[in-house]
Amino acid sequence: MLGLAQRWLKGAFVLSHPEKGTDIMGIFSFISGRKKPTPSELAKERLKVVLVQDRIKVNPELLELIKSDLLTAISRRLDIDEQHVEIRMSREDRWDKLQAEVPIKRQKISFEWDPPAHTTAVTGLRGKVTVEVEKDDGVE
Amino acid sequence: MDSRVITITSGKGGVGKTTTTANIGTALALQGKRVAVVDSDIGLRNLDAVLGLENRIVYDLVDVVEGQCRLRQALIKDKRLPELHLLPAAQTRDKNAVNSVQMEQLCQQLRAEFDFVVIDSPAGIEQGFRNAIVGADEIIIVANPEMASVRDADRIIGLVEAAGKPEPRLILNRLRSEMVKRGDMMDVADVLEVLGIDLLGIVPEDEMIIVATNKGEPIVYDKRSRAGRSFLNAAQRIMGEEIPLDEVTEVPSLLERLRRFVGFGPALAERRVRS
Repeated sequence: MLGLAQRWLKGAFVLSHPEKGTDIMGIFSFISGRKKPTPSELAKERLKVVLVQDRIKVNPELLELIKSDLLTAISRRLDIDEQHVEIRMSREDRWDKLQAEVPIKRQKISFEWDPPAHTTAVTGLRGKVTVEVEKDDGVE
Repeated sequence: MDSRVITITSGKGGVGKTTTTANIGTALALQGKRVAVVDSDIGLRNLDAVLGLENRIVYDLVDVVEGQCRLRQALIKDKRLPELHLLPAAQTRDKNAVNSVQMEQLCQQLRAEFDFVVIDSPAGIEQGFRNAIVGADEIIIVANPEMASVRDADRIIGLVEAAGKPEPRLILNRLRSEMVKRGDMMDVADVLEVLGIDLLGIVPEDEMIIVATNKGEPIVYDKRSRAGRSFLNAAQRIMGEEIPLDEVTEVPSLLERLRRFVGFGPALAERRVRS
């Protein structure tokens, strides 16, 4: 019932204020508590996704390969939550982006330090050194 | 010289390439320009019928390219406009009868004779499409506001860029403003945002297009048709005139509709053509 009234009001407003249509639509979807995308919005969103895949020919298999490469590279340095890593393509204006979300498990960083020969050995350290930095998770 | 070769293409079939070519060509000729429209869809000849010239064909594009006739012999003069000529496609030949080098040479020959050469590209992204764009200075993409058409248009934009051509411009064809208002069809802004190219024209859906094609008479002659007016405006934009792009998205006023229904009072398009 509310949906019907919303639709009717939306139509009325869009007819009288084409440029304010979206704002008013926003208000009504706030009142009704949910927003169902219109077929045109749906088309636009689906297009954006499909065009990213079309343009750079990144298929799900390739994305999986990139993901595993990234995981290998990053997990050597950081302790990451591999189950929740997400990799996706997105598009802004005419730029395609590769977005990766990599949750870090603990604030533990470990890397090997191999100073080049010309570095003055101030610390007296030579050869491969493993450095571990652990932050206290209890401190915010 | 400063003659321009413009290719009309789309990727997807059935979005209005041939109609657009016929109308842009006719509209440019109405402005007093010497125009050749070229049907490069070998094997699926159609531009002749849209222009009502299907009974006059003797030689075709493949005959010219193969040296069976001279260019002048194959060019068909339009019934109404002495400035407008058609180079028809071959109907009985294979679509690979012409290669890119031959097509580029043909464009050079046409440049010498005309101010504008408007090429109707075949659908698809194969050799026929590549032939159609090889000699072009400018590309116009025709798309409808629906997913498959916009997706193919995006693919074409990529191929046009890869071919080293300048960024194409868009004619958004068959827009239904009542569906856009309901949120059932993508609006001009949506398509532009997705494709990221410049807009050359917006053509509303118009039943009169079918009537015009049935008569073999491009819609730009119909002074009361909104689609005809849109094509005229697009042609004027091609010629560099500044014409606002919002005219077709507005629903005509009751008075305007009444006037058109009754059929008197000079339409906007008529005034522009006459001036």
